Order: sequence, then C-alpha cells, then structure tokens
Amino acid sequence: MIALRLIPTVLRQVIRHRTRTILTAAGVAVAMFLFITVQSLQHGVRQATEVTAGDTTLIVYRENRFCPATSRLPESYAPRIARLPGVASVTPMKVVVNNCRASLDVVTFRGVPADDVAPMAAKWRILAGSLEDWHKRSDSALIGQRMAERRRLTPGMSFDAAGVTVSVAGIIASDEPQDQNVAYVHLPFLQQATASGAGLGVVTQFNVRVDDPAKLRDTAAAIDELFRTDQDPTTTRPEKAFVAQVGADVVEIVGFARYLGWGCLAAVLALVANAIVLGVQDRVKEHAVLQTLGFRGGLIARMIIAEGIVLGVLGGVAGTAFAAAFLAWGRFSLSTEGLSIHVSPDVGTSLVGLAIAAGVGVVAGLVPAVQAGRREIAQSFRAV
Amino acid sequence: MTTNLLIQCRGLTKSYRKGDSTITPLQKLDLDVNAGDFLALMGPSGSGKTTLLNLIAGIDSPTGGELRIGGQDIAKLSRSRLADWRSDNVGYIFQLYNLVPVLTAYENVELPLLLHRMSRRDRHERVSTALQLVGIADRHDHYPRQLSGGQEQRVAIARAIVTDPRIIVADEPTGDLDASSAVAIMDLLTRLCEELGKTLVMVTHDARCADRARRTLHLEKGQLVEPGRLGLMEGAAA
Repeated sequence: MIALRLIPTVLRQVIRHRTRTILTAAGVAVAMFLFITVQSLQHGVRQATEVTAGDTTLIVYRENRFCPATSRLPESYAPRIARLPGVASVTPMKVVVNNCRASLDVVTFRGVPADDVAPMAAKWRILAGSLEDWHKRSDSALIGQRMAERRRLTPGMSFDAAGVTVSVAGIIASDEPQDQNVAYVHLPFLQQATASGAGLGVVTQFNVRVDDPAKLRDTAAAIDELFRTDQDPTTTRPEKAFVAQVGADVVEIVGFARYLGWGCLAAVLALVANAIVLGVQDRVKEHAVLQTLGFRGGLIARMIIAEGIVLGVLGGVAGTAFAAAFLAWGRFSLSTEGLSIHVSPDVGTSLVGLAIAAGVGVVAGLVPAVQAGRREIAQSFRAV
Repeated sequence: MTTNLLIQCRGLTKSYRKGDSTITPLQKLDLDVNAGDFLALMGPSGSGKTTLLNLIAGIDSPTGGELRIGGQDIAKLSRSRLADWRSDNVGYIFQLYNLVPVLTAYENVELPLLLHRMSRRDRHERVSTALQLVGIADRHDHYPRQLSGGQEQRVAIARAIVTDPRIIVADEPTGDLDASSAVAIMDLLTRLCEELGKTLVMVTHDARCADRARRTLHLEKGQLVEPGRLGLMEGAAA
C-alpha cells in the first residue's frame, strides 16, 4: 500500500493530532463495543440453537407445552423410550426455574437420577468440589461455572432459589451451553422439593441420546409415535432445535439487535469519515506542500487512507478489548424457560470486528483521500 | 553559453478561468536561465512572478508555449512523472515556510528523502548535513511552533536542499522575516548558489534581496519588462 519508510510519518500524524485521534478512536471504540456485544449475543444464539451434524441429543417434552412448569411427563416413559432402536441412553429430567421469563439471572435446577450423572460427567470438567460429594447428600448440587461465578458460589455453600435450598457440592465446566448455567440436583429431591412439581414419578422432559447423529430425526418421530395415543403425548426435537423453539422470543429479539450492531457500524463509518474529512480540509496546504516536495497524489491519498485505517483499528482494538473484558467479567447468560444463551466473546467475532474497523477506516477515508490526491497544487495554495 | 542553459521558456503562457473572465498572469514570456545562476524576479503584485516560479518548479502547468528544463519539456510530463521530476530536481522555499506542524525540524527535512530509496542511515546523514549547513542542527528535535520565523525558514531551506536538487526556487523567502533574519537567510541562499553551484530563482519585493542576485528581471502584466523601459517607468514614478 505505502512504503514502510512512510508508515512512521502516518503514525506521527495520528499520534500528534492527539485530540482528534482520542475523540475519533473513543467514538469508534464505543460503537465497536456495542457491535461486538451484539455479535456475541448472536454467536451465543447460534451456538445454542443451530443443529450441527454431530448432535446426538433429543429433548422429549410434553406436547403443546413450552414452559418447564407446565410440561409434565411420567418418569415411567424412560424405559419405553430406551427400548426404541437407535437410542443410546435416556435421562429423565425435572426442570425448575426461579423465573420463567427472559432474564439475565435465571437459576435453573435440573433434577437427574444419580445413576445418570456419571455418563453426563464424562463431558464435564470438575473445577471445584467433587462428584463424590454430590452423591453423599440428597440436597447437593453441581453448579455450572457461569452460574457459580455470577452468584459467587463455592463448594460447601448453600443457596436458595425458587423455594429450593441446595448445598453446593461442586463447580462444573462444560462446552455445552446448557450445562454452564444450571444446578444439577438429585431427581427425587427436586421432585419433592417443589410444590408445583406434581411429586415423585413426574418429570419435565427426557434427554435422549441416539447412537448415530443421522438417526436423530427418525428417532424423534418414533418417540412421538410411541406416545401419540397416551394420556401425555410428546413432542421430540433435537436439543438445539428445542432451544430455538422454546426461546423463539429471545432469538427474535437478538435477531433484531443485529440491526443495532449494523447501525453501530454505520455510526463508526460516519464518525471516522467526518474526522478524516475535517482533517483533510484542515491540511489542504500541507498536502499541497507534500505534492510540491514530489509526493504523488496517489501516495498522499494512500497515506490518508492509512490514517483512517490506524484510527479505525485503534478504536476497534480498544472497543473489542473493552467488550471482551466486559463480557468475560459479567458472564452474562440470557435465559428463558430454563434454557440459556450465553453472551461470551469469541476470537472469531473479535477478529471480524477488527477487520470491519479497519475496513471502515478505508471506506471512510476513500473519498477525502481521492479528493486530496487529485487537487491541483497551485489551486490548493490559492485556496488557503 | 547554450551548453550551460538550464531553464528555457519560449512563448510561455498561463491563463485560467475565474468565473466568467479569463485571467492571464503570464503572456508569451521568453526567458533563459543558466545553470548556477541566481535570478531575482521582481514586479508588482499580480505581475506573474509567482506563476512563473510555480511553472519553473513544476507545480503548475503552462497553457501555452514551451518550458524546457535541462532539455526536458516538463509541460509534457504527466502529473505523476512531474511529481517524480520535482522530487529529483526542485527544492521549493515558501514565504511562510510551510513546515508540517506535527513534525520536528528533523522530520520535516527528512520528508523529501522518504520518496527515495535509501537506507535510514543515509537519510540520517543527509538530514544532519542539511541541518548543519543551514545552522539549525541544535534545533533538530524542535517543532515548528517552537522555532522563530528565521529558524523555520532555515529548516525550510534545509528541506529544499536535502535532496541536492538542481534548481532551488524561493517565493519571497524573507517576506515574513525581520531585517536581521532576512540578511541571514539571504547570506545562506547566496552561499547555496556560490559554494554549491545551485541554480536559484527567487521572487522578491525587496530590492536589497534582489541586489544579492546575479541577475534581476522585472515582470509586469505577465511579461518581462526591458531594463530601458523600466528605467523610464522608475523615472516617471520619481
């Protein structure tokens, strides 16, 4: 683009026009912060709702029910589902939430049979406490990392939510979004602890693992067919499709927020463009001097664009770093109906943000750069 | 004589439109300048001095006639080739110095060298030499706002000579300076011409500055005024 030996001159222009640079970069940073946050939300939605080729988990829910409080299925369905071809395992699960609406701080209890925890634990990392401690007490809970950090929970503590009091036995980390924001408790304990839970023998859902991802849809259809004429018919969906269905409102809102993200980018574009236009207007004479010294118009244009890129990247780095720090610190999870969508920064989003910030610098600088490059020297001197 | 000829203008004309009218600051001007010459251009405002200077410096293009410098018709060069030509052949000294305000004296002088392929060390050597030559080396890390007018003009002269150009053009180089600074700057320009053999074309309103030149030409209404006629005009004015 420009010779390496000219880069220090470009950087000096950026650094030594301090006020302009700070104001412009701060504006870009704020906009990039919003953009990265919105994009991270989108990323969280995609992670939680997009079915991938390797997914093997189905959720069996009560037909026409969309909230854990109203989905009630007999626990006795479990062995019948397990007998279907292609089913690897069935985990009956009772779900209790302290808030059925969308919120950033929902506590979700998942009651599971003690025997089913061992295979689930294969994909967890125990960060504190132990599985053994969980088995020792009937009111113990294994807490997802995000919930533990948000509520500052450590093993040995007890906490209360939705009328359920549990003792923390361990903190778990998992790559599965839905494991990070829950408290796993003993199924019978949860069935008895909640008044609205209809007592022992009733669960909210079954988590079914199939032995082959290709059989996901067929197995789901077979499960629903099995209970079609029962008193409690079912609707079975892949886990992520289930999240997308149950959290449709949130997904829609997050989808709308995408436009806000693009709005932020447009604001960045206008801001950087304005800063560059003003800078170029201010330096008409300076550019004429450079041309007099032998700088070609195209070179001056490229130097102006390079300034735009530096301004964009400076603000982009600051905004992205701030967003990453804020999201990492906040450990935000958007939860609805006991399902969580995590808002976490990822490298891909950050890199895209930085690339866009640099791109915005190019686009914003393009018109003033071309104008400056084409200006006649003598005319420029006459104009100032 | 012709072997030493550096600048040759034949029927040089410059005109441009301003609103509905056409302005012609230079009209069919003929001029020869030898290499190593120190030429002063004088004349009233609007007589075409700066226009002629800008044409010689290659920062403006004639609308008619021929302008050969070192045998090359620079009017026929494209914009980018003309920029390269300026970089190699011309050093320009402005009345108001026109230093880049966010760059130090050193960085201002270094600017023209950034267009040439040379090592950082060579650049440093040339910038240091130029700054020493104009007597401002001790102010190399000062910004223009930290320098006096005379010091700024010295930096501007160092910037003009750092690429070792064949021609130095100066547009009222002492116009914004006090008397003692003006004398010092004129001493410096005279040295450039006498000791380094530079060809110097200078526009000035100051007769004392013009006296330092080897040759003084007067322009009026875009044309050179013959010495005899000038004498008559001066007599009439007196």
